This record gives sequence, structure tokens and C-alpha cells, in this order.
Amino acid sequence: MLLITIFGFALIFIGIWGMLTQKNIIKMIIGFSIVDTGIHLVILSIGFRKEGTAPIIDATLSKAEAVSRAIDPIPSALVLTAIVIGLAVTALMLVYAFKMYEKKGSLQIKDFKELKW
Amino acid sequence: MVDPIYIFVIVLGLAFLLSLFDKLSRNLSLFLFFLALASFVYISGSWFISLLSGKEELIIFTAGFKPPVSINLKMGLIEAFFTSLTNFLGLLSAIYLFRKFRAEAVYSLILYLMIIMGINGLIMTRDLFNLFVFLEITSIATYSMIGISSDLKSLTAGFKYMIAGGIASVFLLIGTIYLYRSSGTLNIDSMISSVGLLTTKTGIIALFLVIIAIMIELKPFPANGWALDVYQSVNSGVVAIIASGISAAMLFVLFKLTPLMNENLLTAVAGIGLATFFFSNLLALKQENPKRLLGYSSIGQIGLIMTVYVVLIKAGFIRDSQIVWLISGGLFLNHFLAKAGLFWLAGIIKKEKLSDWASLRTSPILLFAFGTFIFALIGLPPFPGFFAKWQLVMTLAAKGMIFWIVIILLGSFLEAIYLLRWLGKVLKREFQEKFAIHFSRILPIIIFMLLILVLGAYYSTLIFAGNNLNILYLPMLFVFLLFILDFLPVWIKNTLTIAATACYSYLIFPQLAGYKNIFGVIFLIGGVLLLIPGYIKKGKRMGFYPFVAMMYAGLAGLLISKTTLQLFTSWEIMTLGSYILIIRGKKSEPHALSYMLFSVGGAFAMLLGFGLLFSVNGNSLALDSLANVSQAVGTIYLLLGLGFLTKMASIGLHIWLPGAHGEAETDVSPMVSAILLKAGMFGMIILMSAIHSAKIGFVSLPYSLGWLGAITVFLGNLMAIYQEDAKRLLAYSSVGNLGYVLFGLALMTHLGWLTSITYALNHFLFKALLFLAIGGVVMRVKTKNMYEMGGLIKKMPLSFISVLIGIIALSGVPPLSGFAGKWMIYNVVLEKGWYFQGLVVIIGGLIAFLYCFRLIYAVFLGQLKDNHRQVKEAPIALLIPQYIMIFAIMLFSVYPGFILQPVGDFLKELFPQGALIWNEGSAFTQFGYWNGGLIFMITGGIFAIFFLLLFFLNRKAQKVKQFNIVYAAERPSRPELTHVGYNFFAHYKKALGSLSQPYVTKFWDTMSDLFHSSGDFVRRLYTGNGQTYILHILLFVLAVYYITFGG
Repeated sequence: MLLITIFGFALIFIGIWGMLTQKNIIKMIIGFSIVDTGIHLVILSIGFRKEGTAPIIDATLSKAEAVSRAIDPIPSALVLTAIVIGLAVTALMLVYAFKMYEKKGSLQIKDFKELKW
Repeated sequence: MVDPIYIFVIVLGLAFLLSLFDKLSRNLSLFLFFLALASFVYISGSWFISLLSGKEELIIFTAGFKPPVSINLKMGLIEAFFTSLTNFLGLLSAIYLFRKFRAEAVYSLILYLMIIMGINGLIMTRDLFNLFVFLEITSIATYSMIGISSDLKSLTAGFKYMIAGGIASVFLLIGTIYLYRSSGTLNIDSMISSVGLLTTKTGIIALFLVIIAIMIELKPFPANGWALDVYQSVNSGVVAIIASGISAAMLFVLFKLTPLMNENLLTAVAGIGLATFFFSNLLALKQENPKRLLGYSSIGQIGLIMTVYVVLIKAGFIRDSQIVWLISGGLFLNHFLAKAGLFWLAGIIKKEKLSDWASLRTSPILLFAFGTFIFALIGLPPFPGFFAKWQLVMTLAAKGMIFWIVIILLGSFLEAIYLLRWLGKVLKREFQEKFAIHFSRILPIIIFMLLILVLGAYYSTLIFAGNNLNILYLPMLFVFLLFILDFLPVWIKNTLTIAATACYSYLIFPQLAGYKNIFGVIFLIGGVLLLIPGYIKKGKRMGFYPFVAMMYAGLAGLLISKTTLQLFTSWEIMTLGSYILIIRGKKSEPHALSYMLFSVGGAFAMLLGFGLLFSVNGNSLALDSLANVSQAVGTIYLLLGLGFLTKMASIGLHIWLPGAHGEAETDVSPMVSAILLKAGMFGMIILMSAIHSAKIGFVSLPYSLGWLGAITVFLGNLMAIYQEDAKRLLAYSSVGNLGYVLFGLALMTHLGWLTSITYALNHFLFKALLFLAIGGVVMRVKTKNMYEMGGLIKKMPLSFISVLIGIIALSGVPPLSGFAGKWMIYNVVLEKGWYFQGLVVIIGGLIAFLYCFRLIYAVFLGQLKDNHRQVKEAPIALLIPQYIMIFAIMLFSVYPGFILQPVGDFLKELFPQGALIWNEGSAFTQFGYWNGGLIFMITGGIFAIFFLLLFFLNRKAQKVKQFNIVYAAERPSRPELTHVGYNFFAHYKKALGSLSQPYVTKFWDTMSDLFHSSGDFVRRLYTGNGQTYILHILLFVLAVYYITFGG
């Protein structure tokens, strides 16, 4: 599953590149969410097993078989948590962008430099 | 015992219920909110207490499985300690924010609870992914809490914080998942036990990413611009939680993960911490905004704690051993309490400039708290940071890690600069408006202040274990009592202090022997004498007596010190007390700062010296071990010498003295000049007698000190003659006088030391006398400039006699005691063969005549100024000690053997050769003899003859009146030019040319500029642009990676 991992990392780098180069706060936030998606792909790719099955122990998958046939359930569980957290952070960032725009009438990151040194 | 899992249960339950209850009534929801916070304190606190008494630690399993399948939490002693502290902080900060919580929507209550829960989770969890979740809970709740504010600055800061936090969690998440892949577990304990699995390339990088993510959360230099913005702009109650609470949790997370780190990573963490500590403090030097300043200081302190913990582990100490927690725990507590307290204070004052904090003076209790926190951060006794720093230096020195000590001390020094400057502004600047005081906002500050004091006392008992504590603590108890009694009028407190000093002298005099008796007389009996002038003050004189008592406590402590630790503690207590005394003068702010900076710098040199001594002498703290140094002899003696010479104000290290002594209050100047300077001398005697007993032929140091002493005599006296300000003249003269003392000690002979020690007593007498007399004059004529005085002999005859006796004793002409010193110096210079140095000293002595003459002439002789016609004699409380001293000087002059003989007897133990031989009141050396009593009578006789002659011949003389003076074709452009005493020795200044240039002051100014401008230059790195900060973080990560693993 190397391909997914590579895709994931590519997304992470694209996202970070966006965060570094885009001057608009909304675009920076988009960059952040691309990074997030990339991470989710990377996490998923860790637990993946070729031709594996869902890790649900029932009639079709016995306990003994699970170790050899099922995919690792932990990354899937983690990715769910990560998605939720990512959602919260992105939403919050957007709220910030909204409030900052309300105060200053600008979405350019360089306009928010009152605090420095 | 309540299961700590209920902390999470309560928060999650209340998070939903609070908004419901809030519909009923805000008071109800507030009540539940505080109840919940109090219950957290109870839960963690009760665990802490029972774990302390030996109960087993608790592992909490979740979801009905055992780890590593499920997540587990741990409540051990250290977890209990950290959660207790942070929960207590949570409760207090909530009380502090009470008014905000009452006014704002219920959501802030919920978010606040979430932050506290997140902190608890971070501390207790043993699962890496769970750690990530708790980190996000804490962060998101914090971001939201910041976002509730509608202030643009705090919104901007919050956004930058989110971006930085977001990047950190990216690294944390990727690292976590790859650690899972390498080790097959997310459980930290399982990972530690299978740490071998992490040695693959993937494992190493994954671990690196996790650690670096946590480092970013700990705000490493230079990837911390966002954190500074947060500290500067966000509500003080919330910032207290971020700076103390969340930082504590993140530090603990880092400590938790140290078992996973290899040597490379440990070094990287220690290095980053050290760089952060140093640079934060450097960059803070030019900071004017109080909260941003606190931000710099917080970041620096966290870096320090991080470094110290990791370095101790690298040095081979067991992770949870007592010594590691004693040191890093002490530094941590110090920072935790002081920083939260200071941020809370910032929320009360609400001023954007350091100098506007002067309004703190309207509230003595808050001012006291502010001072407490500042001194705690600087690391002065009696606070935990002091003892932790001492232990740290000793421990690292014993392991040979000198580099770390040096940088840590350098960073601490930089921190002391800006903190003391701030304190000075608060104590001295003008202020316009008061601030509103609400009980809920003050209570937390007072509690943390008391806590830090109690912890300091507790720490001191840990460090001083095995000593006789009563004798050490008695004076400090009295100091504490004086703080409580500070509301009483001045005469009661003065009487109390005099009585206590006298009692304490009575208590410790039996313990003193040899030269310590002389110092006992100067420090304690002299102390009592110089407290008498205090009766001239009216009112309450708040904040004076506790610090006088503290200074004397320190001085007394020096006398009875048997270990380096006792000596150093007493030294610092003395410094603290004297600093507050000095800064009380009207224009003392800059001078007190320079006094304190030289003192702190000198003390750090001493600390390093004691550390080295500890390491080369088989970990012994005994002062006697100073004589058996085997390695690093020169370095140790030099460092200690530097510390002592700073307090003695030898040339090069003297620039603090003239201002500090000259601008001090009337009764403080004699104390700091006549008494405090002798502390440096006391230290030098300890050092020099060790050098002497060591008999290692270590001659180069005494030889250089001899020259230093001679030059100090010369230049000190030279500078004194140029002064227009009478008190500064006396102050410079002290520099010169202490030069004699140093010169005498450096001779390393019996006679040299005899001169030096008796001269110290002499200097105490005449300098106190002169400062009191001149102080009385200044008090009456309300100026210190000599050209604005004149003819005061008729108005203040008693003060005139004092000054006359004082200058005769000072200049060393017969018949008074100063002559004895001069006679002995001549003898000893001949005996030792130091002719060149001797010549410089003698010329210096001649220069002293010039300023002595000017002092008496310009002040007391000549024309009386018109506006001084109503001037009265100095108050009786000033005159009494003066005449006691005159009596002592007379006694000492007529019967010199009275002091010289016992001191000589003692010195025979150290220097058996070359003692004075006494024969019926005459002292003999190989070069001649001298009889004090006889000289007194002869000189007195000659004086009487001339006096009578003058008296009879002068009856017909015409008196010169004010307008008998004629200016021949010359019109004085400024009024002071009409005074003969103005710019009296200008021609000497011209003649001496470059010798009169203030090179030393220039040198120190340049040094100061260098640090300030480099700090100012580097801090421009923090552009304020959030995007730049992302770049900083990424570059930081890359740089650390390449440095750690070499690419």
C-alpha cells in the first residue's frame, strides 16, 4: 500500500506548501485541511492489508483467523478520532477567520501583525 | 479515595448539564462549576497525600480491557503531584476569573472545565494516541476560550496559536502512527519495554517527530513567536493556565517520554532547552510590554526546566530519584507559582508599559507579592528556585558539566537584568491612576505568594538538613515578624530592630573567634549604632525595617557560616535586603539596579566557584575545604575573588558604588558604606587565609590583588576629588579606602593583615561618622552639592567637629587612629619590598588630603549662604551615634594596643613571623617604633600652642563679608561659579588627562549595549506574520533533525 502512503505524504506537503505560500487566511485553512486529509490517508495505509477483510469477528471470521486475515483495526479507529478532531480544528479556524475579518475587514495574514518582537 | 477517572466523568457530564442548569440560574451553574473544580483538587490532592504516605499507585483501566489493548491512566506520586498543582491552579484561576464567568455566556465555563480535564488527561494517560487526543482537547478548548474574546489582538494571537498547534499535531500524529507501526503498540509502557524495536530508521524518525511535536508545544526558540503573542494579548486568567498549567502538563509529557529517547535525542532536547532559556532572556532585554516580558520569561523558564531534567538524566541520575525532583521540581514550582501570580497581577494592573506598574505601590500586599515573585524568579533566597539552583550547580559541577552551568548562569543573569529593571520601575516611577481591586482577583495571588514562601522554607529545611537550624532561622523569623508588624509607627519598629540585633549579637558572639570578633563588632554592634539615626524618621516608613533586618541577618549569617551553602545563602539574603534599602533613595533607581546586577553577577561567579570547589574536593561543602583545593586552583580562587571583590567595589567592579551609596537615604548611606562593604572584605579574608594555609605557592593572585588594591586606592581617591556632591565624594572615598584593605590583605604578611583588619574597623568608624554628619547637613540644607553650602560651622558646630575628626582619622595624619594604619603600611611595604605598589598607595593617600580638605572647607568654612541663615544643628538621633564613634576613635588613637594586640595575637596563628612587638604602649617593628598615646599628646600639645597663638594674634583681624568679594572684570555666568569650592580641582583633571577618563564606566556601558542591541536585533525575527511562524517551525524541525542525526 505504498502508493496510498505516498499519496498521503504528497497531500501533506501540498497542504503545508499552501499554508506557507497562500497569503489569504481562508486558503491557509484549506491548506491545513489538505494536510489533515493527507494524514488520514497515511494512517489508513498503515493498517491496510492486501485482500484483508473487515476486523469484525463473527461467523465468517473466526478469532484464530482474524490475526492473519483481518486488517489492523486500530488505525481505522484512530483515523475516526483524527477526522473528528480535524473537523473541530478546521471549523474553529474558520470561526477565527470570520471574526478576524469582522474586526479588520481583511483576510490577508500580513495585515495581522500588531503583535511582534 | 475517589477514582481519578471521575475527573473526566464530571467534566463530560457537566459539559452537557451546565447549559441546562444555566437556563435555571447562572448562580447554580457557577456553583456546580466551582464545585467540580474543587472536587478535582480534592481528588488529586487526596491521592497525593496518601501516595506520599506510601500507598500504592493506581493504574486505571478503561473499557474493561487490560493494556495494551485498552487505554490506561496512571496515578502515581508524580502524577498526583502535577495534577494537584494544576487543579489547584485551575480552581484559583477560576476564582480569579469569577467576574468574567459571571458576565459571559455559559460556554466559557464549559471550555474552562475542558482545559482542566485535558491537562489532567495529559498528565495521567499512558497511551500515546490518547495523549494526542487530550492534547487536542486542551488545545481546542484553549483556542475557543481565546476566541470568545472580541479583542482583535487576542484573536490574531489565537489564530497564530492554532496554526502552530495544528502543525505540531501533524507531526505528533504522523510520529504516533509510525511508532505504532514499529513497536506494534500505542501503550507508552509497552513501548518502553520494547524500546529495541524503535531502533529502525522508521522508529527513530517517528520518535523524533513525536518529541519535536511536544517540543513545539513547549515553545522552543526560535519557533515560538506565536506563543509570545498569546502571552501578550490573551486574558490574564487564561494565560496563567496556559503558562503554568498547560506548560506543566506538556513538560510532564516530555518527562514521561524520556525513557524512549536515545542519547542523541536527549542531547537535542537539552540543547534546545538551553538555547531557549538563553535566547528568551536575551531577547527580553528590550521588552517594554509587561505581559510579553512575562512571556519571554515563561518560555525561558520552561526551557531551563526541560534542560535541567534531561541533563540530570544524561548525567546518570535515576529518573524518579529524589535529587532529580528536588532540582527540577524546585525550579518548576518556582516558575509555576511565580508566573501564574505575575500574570494574574498583569490582569489587575492592565498597563501596557512596565513603568506604569508603579501604581502597584498603592497596594502594599500586591507590591509585596510582586516583589516575592520577582525575587523568586531571579533565584534569591528564601525561595525554592534559590535552593534548586544551588543544588543544580553543585550536582552538575560534581559531574564535570561546567558548560551547562555557565550558560544557565548567564541566562539567569540576563533574566535578572530585566526583572530587576522592572522592579526598580515599580518601586520608583510616578503613577497617575489607581486600579480597581476585587477580592476574587487578589485572593489567588496571595495564596500563591504564601505558597511560594512556605515552599521556600520547606526547601531550605531539605537542603540545610543536618545543620543547627535555630540559629539560621531566628533572624529570618524576625524579618517575617517585621513584615507583619509593618503597620506600626517607625519608633516602635526601630526599637524592636535594635533590640533584636542586640539580642542576636549576644547570642552569637560566644561562637566567634579571631578576626570574626572584629567583624562581629562592625556588623552587629555597628549595626545597632547605625540604627539609632532611624529615629529621625516620622510616620511608618513601610518596607524599611524588614529589609534592614534581612541585611543584618545575612551579615550575621556570614559570621557563623561553616559551609559554602550557609555562606552563599547569607550572602544573598544580605544582598536582597541591602538592595531594597539602597533603592529607597529618591534618585536611586538606576544605581540600585547597577548595584544589584553587579551583586547578582558576582554571586553567580561565586556560585560557580563553590560548585567547582565542591567537585574537586570530594563533594564537601565545608568552608575549611577551601584550603585543600587540589585542582582548578586558580579558577576557583579567581571566581570566588570576583564575587567578593564586587561587594568590595574594587576598581573595575566599582561603578555601582558611588550612586548606590551617594543617593541612599541619610541613615542608609552609613550602613551600606561603613558596614556592608566589609562583607566583601570578610569574604576576601576567608579566601586569602585559605590561599595562605594552602601553602601551594600560589603567589600570582595575591600579587595581582596587591596591584589592584594599590590602583583602587589611587583611582578611588582621585575620583573623589572631582565630586561636587558631598555624599558621592564620600562614596568614592570608600572605594579608595577599601583599596587599602585589599592592598593590606594582598601583602600576605602579619603586619599587612593587621593593618587591613584594624583599618576595616577604623573605616567603619570614620566613614559612618562622616556619612552621618554630612547626611545631617544634607538633611538640613536640602542639597548635596558642596558649592551650594558654606559657612555652616556656625550653624552646625557639632557636625563640624564630627567631620573634622572624621577627616583627620581618614587622612591618616597624627594623632588619630588613621595614622597607625599609615605607619604600619609604610613598614610593611618596606618589609615586603613592594616599592612601586607602595608608592602608588602613598600617592593615593596624598590625594585623600585634597578631598578631605574640600569637604570641610566647602561645607563648613567660607561664607554662609543667605538661604541657610535659619539652618539648625542636625537632629540628636544623628548626633548620638556620631559622638559614640568619636569617642571610639579617640580611645583607639590613645590606646591602639587595645585592638591591635588581640588581633595581632590571633594573626600569629596564621602568620607567626613579623608580628608587632609591644613594649609599654609602643609597637616595634624591624624599622622603628610608634607609640599612639605619646603621639596623641605631642600632637595635641602642638595643636594647643598654635591654636592659642592664633587666638591671640587674630583678635584684630577684620571679618570678610559677603560683598567684600570683588570680581575683577569677570562676570560669573552661572551662580555656582561664585563659590570657590566649585570645580575645585579642575586643574588636576586637566593635568592628569586620560587618567581621569571614565574608562571603566565606558567598558560596562559598552557591554550592556552589546547585549541589549544584540537582543533587540535577534527579536526582529518575530515579524508578527503568522506565516513566518509556520516557516520558523518547519525550519526548526529540519535544523534539529540534521543536528541530531547528522542528515
